[in-house]
Amino acid sequence: MQALVSTNGATDSLRCYTLDNGLRLVTAPASTGQVAAVNLWYGVGSRHEVPGRTGFAHLFEHLMFQGSGSVAKGEHFEAIERLGGEMNASTSTDRTNYYETVPQHALDLALWLEADRLATLREGMTQEVLDNQRDVVKNERRQRYDNMPYGTALERILRLAYPEGHPYHHPTIGSMEDLDAADLNYVLSFHERHYGPDNLVLTVVSSLDPSDVHERVETYFGSIPRRSEVAAAPDATLDGPIGGPVRETVTEPCPAPRLYLGHRVGPYGSREFDVMHMAMAVLGEGQGSRLYRRLVVERELAMDTGGTDALVLPFRYTPSLALVTMMAREGVSGDQLEAAILEEIAQLAEGVDADELERARAVLERDHLQTLASPSGLADSLGSCAQLFDDPGAALTWPSRWADITPDEVAAAARRLLTDENRLILRFEPEAEDAEQ
Amino acid sequence: MSTRPSRPVLGPPESYTFPTPQRMRVAGGEIIAVDLPGQSYASLRLVHPAGGVSERSDQVGVAKLTSEVLEDGIHGNSSLAPELEKHGAEWTSGVTWDSFVTGVDAPVGRLPDATSLFAEAVRTPALRPEDVQRRQEQLVERFWVDMSVPRTLAGRAVGPQLFTGRYATPLGGGPSGIQALTPEAVSQFHAAAIAGVAGTLIVVGDLSTIDVEAIGKAVFTGTSGSVQPRSVAPEPTPGPLPRVVVLDRPGAVQSALVLATQAPSRRDVDLPRAEGVSSVLGGMFGSRLNMELRERRGYTYGAHCRFDLRRDGGVLMANTEVDTPTTAESISVIFDEIERLRRDGVTEDELVAVRDSNTVGLPVQYSTSWAISSALVEMVVHDLPEDHVDRLRAGFEALTAEDLHTAAQELLRPDEAVVVVAGDAEALTDALTETGVGQVTVRQAETYWE
Repeated sequence: MQALVSTNGATDSLRCYTLDNGLRLVTAPASTGQVAAVNLWYGVGSRHEVPGRTGFAHLFEHLMFQGSGSVAKGEHFEAIERLGGEMNASTSTDRTNYYETVPQHALDLALWLEADRLATLREGMTQEVLDNQRDVVKNERRQRYDNMPYGTALERILRLAYPEGHPYHHPTIGSMEDLDAADLNYVLSFHERHYGPDNLVLTVVSSLDPSDVHERVETYFGSIPRRSEVAAAPDATLDGPIGGPVRETVTEPCPAPRLYLGHRVGPYGSREFDVMHMAMAVLGEGQGSRLYRRLVVERELAMDTGGTDALVLPFRYTPSLALVTMMAREGVSGDQLEAAILEEIAQLAEGVDADELERARAVLERDHLQTLASPSGLADSLGSCAQLFDDPGAALTWPSRWADITPDEVAAAARRLLTDENRLILRFEPEAEDAEQ
Repeated sequence: MSTRPSRPVLGPPESYTFPTPQRMRVAGGEIIAVDLPGQSYASLRLVHPAGGVSERSDQVGVAKLTSEVLEDGIHGNSSLAPELEKHGAEWTSGVTWDSFVTGVDAPVGRLPDATSLFAEAVRTPALRPEDVQRRQEQLVERFWVDMSVPRTLAGRAVGPQLFTGRYATPLGGGPSGIQALTPEAVSQFHAAAIAGVAGTLIVVGDLSTIDVEAIGKAVFTGTSGSVQPRSVAPEPTPGPLPRVVVLDRPGAVQSALVLATQAPSRRDVDLPRAEGVSSVLGGMFGSRLNMELRERRGYTYGAHCRFDLRRDGGVLMANTEVDTPTTAESISVIFDEIERLRRDGVTEDELVAVRDSNTVGLPVQYSTSWAISSALVEMVVHDLPEDHVDRLRAGFEALTAEDLHTAAQELLRPDEAVVVVAGDAEALTDALTETGVGQVTVRQAETYWE
C-alpha cells in the first residue's frame, strides 16, 4: 500500500536562522490563517538535576510564569488569555517547552513576553513566589502521582530502569523532600546556567513572511547575551541491558492488577529506536495490534483502552524505554496477565508479517499527520527536531525513517532487546479487601 | 536592562469570519462541508439526535453501549478499527445527553475509503450478541476503574445529588443498568435511531480533491427521514440545600471537590453572559478561583468552573483538587468568591478579558479541522443558525459589566448548591460541618452506586 505521507519537498517551506547570540529560529507557514504559534524549546530538563535537587527543572518552569523585569506575576497568562490565546509549558527529562498560540497580530506581544522572562526573570523572582509555586507543584504531585491509582508508576519504572545516580533515575516531578529544599539562590543560579538564547530553539508558525518574523525575533531577543558559561549535562551514557528481570510489586488501593513491562532500547533518533517504535506499534498500538487482538478481544484478559497498550518513552541522551502496560479484567490475576503479555512479547521475536508491519506503519504515520495538523503541533515538532537533532526538517520527513524497516529487522530487534535480561516488571495489586469485592 | 525593547503596542486584530459552510442534500441527507485549504487531515462527523435523554427508562446506557459496539464493524469482533488503521484513519464516537455522534478522521486522500468503512459500520453493523456482551462487561469494569480516579468519583456523584430522572444517572448508565442491557435492546435502539435515520453529515478539511457528494452518497444511501429529539423536563433538586456529601477515600492526601447547582437549559441561556460569568469565576487561568486557591494560597494545582448546558437543562460546576487539610477552607473560599461576584459584579479588566478572549481569539479557537467540526456539531445539535459563531462574537462584543453582574446574580445560586467531596471522611467531617455550608453526609464510595 502506498505510504500516507509524501515527504518529497516537505521541508522547502522551512526557514532557519541563527542570531548572533546563538538563538536558533525556525519559521514555517501555518495552514490556517490569522494565527501565530510560538514555541520555545530550552535544552534543559530533569536530566540536568543533581541528587537532592530533583523536580527543579519543572518547578522552574512554573516560576517562569511568575513575573520578570517588566511583567508582573500572572501577567503573562492574563495577556495571552485576553487574546483568546492558548498557552502552556511542559518539562521532560530532555527539555523544557513553553508555547503560546495567538492571533497573528499579537505575535510581537508573545515574543516580547518570552524575551522578557528569558532576559530578566531573576528581577521578578521573590521568596514569596517560590513558596507559592512550591506548594502548587506539591499539589500537582499529589494530584497526578500520590492520590491517583497507579500514579507512581512512572517514578517506579525510571527507578528500576536506570541506576541510582543516573540522570534518568528520577521523574521530572521530583520528590517532596527536594521540593521543600528548593531555595531562592538556587532558582537564580539555575536561570543563569540554563536559560540563555544559546540554549533555545524558537519556532514561529504563521502566515507572515519569514524575514519579517526573523526581524521581529531579532528586535526582541537580539540584545539578550549568551550564557557566560555553558552548563555541562551530566553523563547519561549507559550500555547493556537492564540486568533483569528486575521486579517490583506494589500493593495499594487500586481497581485491578496492572502490569508495566519496560525494556531499554536505543536513544530517540537512533535506528534502533525507530525499529522498536514499529515493534511496539505492531505489539500494542491500535486495535489491530497483537495485544489488543489477543488479550483484549480473543482471550478477554485485559481491559480495553482502545489500543494504547505499548509505546516507547523517547529519551534523546540515554537508552529509551519500550513499555507495555495493561490492566487485568475482573477475575483475571496479575500472574495470568503477566504470563499472557510475556507470551505475546516472545512471539514478536519469532516473526512479524508484512501486513501487520504495514498497519503499524500507517498508525505511526497517522499519529504524525495528526500532530502536524495544528499550528501548535507543527511548531512543537519543528522545535523538537531542531533542539534534539539540529534538524528541524526531520519533523516533516520523519515517516521516511520507517520506510525501509523490514519485518525481519523488527523481529531481530525484538529477539535482541525484549529479553528477560533487559526487562523490568512493575506490577500493581489491589489490597486484599478490594480484591474481594 | 536599558536596551530591552518596551512592551509592544498591538495594532488592531484582523477581523475573523467563521468559514461559510457549503450545504447540500444528497440521497435524503444533509451535508455541511467546510473547505480548509492546506488541512490535509480531514474530519468527518455524523450527528444523530439520539443521546442519553432519548433512551427508554428501562434501557439507560443503551446509547453509549451501542456507540461502543459499532466499533465491532460489519464482521463483529472489533473488526472496524484495524481496517481503518490501514488507511491512517481513526474512528470516533461519542454520546452526549442530546446527540449520538460518530465519525472518522483521515488523510484527505484516504477519506473516500475510510468513509465507505465508516458508513457500513454505522448503517449495517453486525451487532453480534457476543460483541455486545464483551463491550457491556468492559463498560461495567471501566465504570469502576474510572471511579478510582478522585475527580471522576466526585464528578459522577453530582447527577443523582442534583436531579431525579435521567440526569440522575451517568450519561453512559450506572453499573447495574449497563449490566441489565440486552443485545436486543442495542439492536432496537440502533434500528430506531441510527440505521435508517439519515442524520446530518459534517466534513471539514482540504476538500479540493474530495468529491463531497460521493462521500454523502456513501453515508446516506438507503436512509430516510429523521427523528425528533425527545424532551425531558428538568426536575427540582431533591433534598435540603445547600448540603455536603463526602465520598470516603480513607487516607487520601487530597480531596477532589465539586460544587454544583442546576442551571438553565442551553436554549434558555444567553451564552455570552453565562460563559462570561463562569470564565470570571473559574474558566481562565486568571479567574478568581484559580488565582485565590492556586496562585495566592497554593492549595491546588488548579481550580475551574464551567456550565454543562444541555437541550433541556444544565449544571454549573466548580471543581478543584486540594490538599486534604485545606479542604474545608477551600470550600468556604469558593462560596465567598461566588458571593463576591454576585454582590460586586466584575471588574473592568475582567470584562475586557471575557470580551476579547471570545472575539479576537477566534482564529486560535478555530485553527484545526477538529475545532471547526466540533462547532458545526454543536450547531446541528442545538439548531443554531449558520452564523452562530459570528452572532456569538457580536454578543461578546456587546457585553457590559452590568450584563455580567446581573448574570452572576441569576446564574450563581449558592443556596441551591450541592458540594461533593471525594476525600478522607475522618479527616474532613468536623471541619466541613464547621464551615456551616449545610448538612454533611458521608457515603462509602464503593456502595454509592449500588
